Amino acid sequence: MQKRGLIFYARMYRKILVQDLKSKMSYRADFVISTFGMIMTNLSGFVTFLILFRNFPTINGWDYYHMLFLYGFSLVALTPVQCFFDNNWNLRFMVQSGDFIKYCFRPVNVFFYFISEVFDVKGLGQLAFGIGTIVYAWVHIGIPVTPLVIVKLIVYLLTASLFMIALMNFAAATCFWIKGSGYVMVIMFRFKDFAKYPASIFSGIFKVIFTFIIPIAFIAYYPSLVILQPGNVPPLSWISPLFGIVFVYLSYKFWMLGVRKYDFTGS
Amino acid sequence: MSNEAVVMKNVCKDFKVLNRHEGLKGSIQDLFSRDYKTVSAVKDVTLTVNRGEIIGYLGPNGAGKSTTIKMMTGVLEPTSGELLVNGKVPYKNRTENCENIGVVFGQRSQLWWSLPLIESFKLLRDLYMVPEKDYEEMIELYRSLVDIEPILHKPVRQMSLGQRTLSDILAAFLHNPAIVFLDEPTIGLDVSMKAKIRELILGLNKEKNTTVILTTHDMGDVDALCRRIIIIDEGTKIYDNDIEHLKNYFGSYRTLKIRRTDDTWEEYLIDEKTTDVMDVIMEKQKEKKIKDVKILEISTEEVIKKIYEGGAR
Amino acid sequence: MNPKRLLAITRAGIMESLQFRLGIFVTLFANLIYLVLVYYLWKAIYDSSGTDVVNGMTFTDTMIYLILATALFNFLEMFVVWDMSRKIQSGALVLDLLKPMRFRKYTFWSYTGNHVVQFVLTFIPTFIVVMIVTGGAIPLGLNIVWFIIATVFALIINYNIEMLVAPICLFTESTWGINIVKETIVLLLSGATIPLAFFPEKARMVVQYLPFRAVYDIPLSILLGKSGSDTWQGLLQLFALQIVWMVVLTLAGNLFWNCAVRKVTVNGG
Repeated sequence: MQKRGLIFYARMYRKILVQDLKSKMSYRADFVISTFGMIMTNLSGFVTFLILFRNFPTINGWDYYHMLFLYGFSLVALTPVQCFFDNNWNLRFMVQSGDFIKYCFRPVNVFFYFISEVFDVKGLGQLAFGIGTIVYAWVHIGIPVTPLVIVKLIVYLLTASLFMIALMNFAAATCFWIKGSGYVMVIMFRFKDFAKYPASIFSGIFKVIFTFIIPIAFIAYYPSLVILQPGNVPPLSWISPLFGIVFVYLSYKFWMLGVRKYDFTGS
Repeated sequence: MSNEAVVMKNVCKDFKVLNRHEGLKGSIQDLFSRDYKTVSAVKDVTLTVNRGEIIGYLGPNGAGKSTTIKMMTGVLEPTSGELLVNGKVPYKNRTENCENIGVVFGQRSQLWWSLPLIESFKLLRDLYMVPEKDYEEMIELYRSLVDIEPILHKPVRQMSLGQRTLSDILAAFLHNPAIVFLDEPTIGLDVSMKAKIRELILGLNKEKNTTVILTTHDMGDVDALCRRIIIIDEGTKIYDNDIEHLKNYFGSYRTLKIRRTDDTWEEYLIDEKTTDVMDVIMEKQKEKKIKDVKILEISTEEVIKKIYEGGAR
Repeated sequence: MNPKRLLAITRAGIMESLQFRLGIFVTLFANLIYLVLVYYLWKAIYDSSGTDVVNGMTFTDTMIYLILATALFNFLEMFVVWDMSRKIQSGALVLDLLKPMRFRKYTFWSYTGNHVVQFVLTFIPTFIVVMIVTGGAIPLGLNIVWFIIATVFALIINYNIEMLVAPICLFTESTWGINIVKETIVLLLSGATIPLAFFPEKARMVVQYLPFRAVYDIPLSILLGKSGSDTWQGLLQLFALQIVWMVVLTLAGNLFWNCAVRKVTVNGG
């Protein structure tokens, strides 16, 4: 029997993605409205940000441009979860209606098969917005541009995105145990709005919670310090890629445990 | 490979459910209640399905049919007992088990909703790693059995229910699995589509020697497809034998049909061992005038109804 | 409309919400965490500003405002847009239209059950927590009565905004897009993300007269005695604004819904 390795999964993902994009072309109105919605949320987030800074010139010692960098950083870090893991939002409806069972009849990993089904193009608008913000802030802060810094930026952006992926996996998988857990996803997604503020605002027990249990501090703050404070990078920033991988792995295991424990009574 | 496609020995499956209370007050109580009860969906079922057989797996709603199939497909783990599908424990080797089975579950399409059928087929071919040659052969076989041209390039979401069911069945056989599970494949279909689908299943079973496990409430399916049936009720197996044997068991039963003068038909099920058919006719004659009389052998439908009502226990 | 029937629908709505028992506890817990986040953020913001009062809002005011806005958001949250789009896709909408009751009314009253549960399980606990933490910073008097009235108005306005947006699903399949546009606009312009007091003067002049403000900002201002609600005249002005929007949106919603339904019946859903 042939084995299904990484190459198989990569090839399969590409094929499903291409088919998905093809079929999306047939829903043009949806694409336009969703893109408009995406622009609206980003604009609204930006307006909130501007209003805040109009009233308060610094937050916890962070000035406008540093905050803007953090903001752009968090937007880019959110793109992968939005583009590749968007089907998580459908999970609870599928589980409730019993339609989820169809993902269990294929000789491939259930998580992969489920997640591969949806690729969300509208996340790309946010990516562009985020990159623009980072570049704008970058120029004003005056960080020197070297190949090494660019590589670091990419690595730590990817790191940051891992945490968001893990959080949403955890939140989505709660529906295997808890009926009516939709709110968990909604609020988890709203938690991300706090990722764009420096994690130094937390203190005491909540600092620990928002760093290690609900790792909001890792969605932008710690990874971005590698770029923003090159002379004084905390150890937590350096090891954040490792943490990210562990978190994603745990969330994946949790998700799969949900599939195994679920009794599929929906039908 | 051994001759058994499925072997079940003393398989049980229990679910834990919350005891719900009635009314608004009950709902509030339930918020904090830890009052669970265990429901046995499948109780101590033992059965064997041989290769190439088409089995009718029957039972009233909620009898445990779906639960059994979910265990066979590796989705659910049996609470106790031994279950082997193609010689493997399905729950422990889910992906491997899926290579060798095909499933059409309920009226839920497993195909990509907005893709033309042929694209879904190609994706499935790649998912199951079907060699190009086998794939082409299978498509040829499909062409010889049904007219697939009109649906091949149609997106699934634009298909009629019949076309969708047909597509799902074709997709389930595409990787030439050893066993195919069909859960009510003909529900909601018109007469000609039902016939088409039965013919297709028979054809594929004959050509590929595929084992088919079929659950249905339509006795037309059973008559057309199955030689052997297994009946389960309240989680317990209550019948497992040839369909002919079953009819013999109820061989003394006759269906008496009486037409009145106003052209309405009345039906009576009569056990000739205890009642004389002629007596019944005479008695009915006294009530009202009879225009016509038919005496029929018991239909599968009637037999199953009888069993569900507790006739065989 | 028979009030007994409305009560029955509301009661069924309550029982349906209570079905999701773990979900309710998780929601409560998630809300508490969210409150902690809001607290730390604004504490940091006020600490850095150097002054205690910004735009007439103290830290405590802002905290209470935002926390109660969140609680109000949970309490008011409806999924009419999502429900509607699922019903359209599954064809269940036609069944609902056949029910012996006007669809809009039916939806409203079945959601009322959910509102009652949310009010008891999220708003009241949050309110109590806020009272304890701030040492009774919320004045308790007639304003509570006015607040409750304003909240009921807000509920009706919010429902009508939903009902104005939801039928768009009949024309396009883009549920996500429609919903996110609605939510973004409502949250930003109603003062749920950032109090309206912080908006620049010109923007505030405009936002002040839009219906979104009537959903979050007016009930909360009344509760906290802000925006001139401590005088009779100011209070009446705020109520007048709510009532005007309530009437306008109800009429507009009715009109739009009837047009949309005609489309469904023509196309056969």
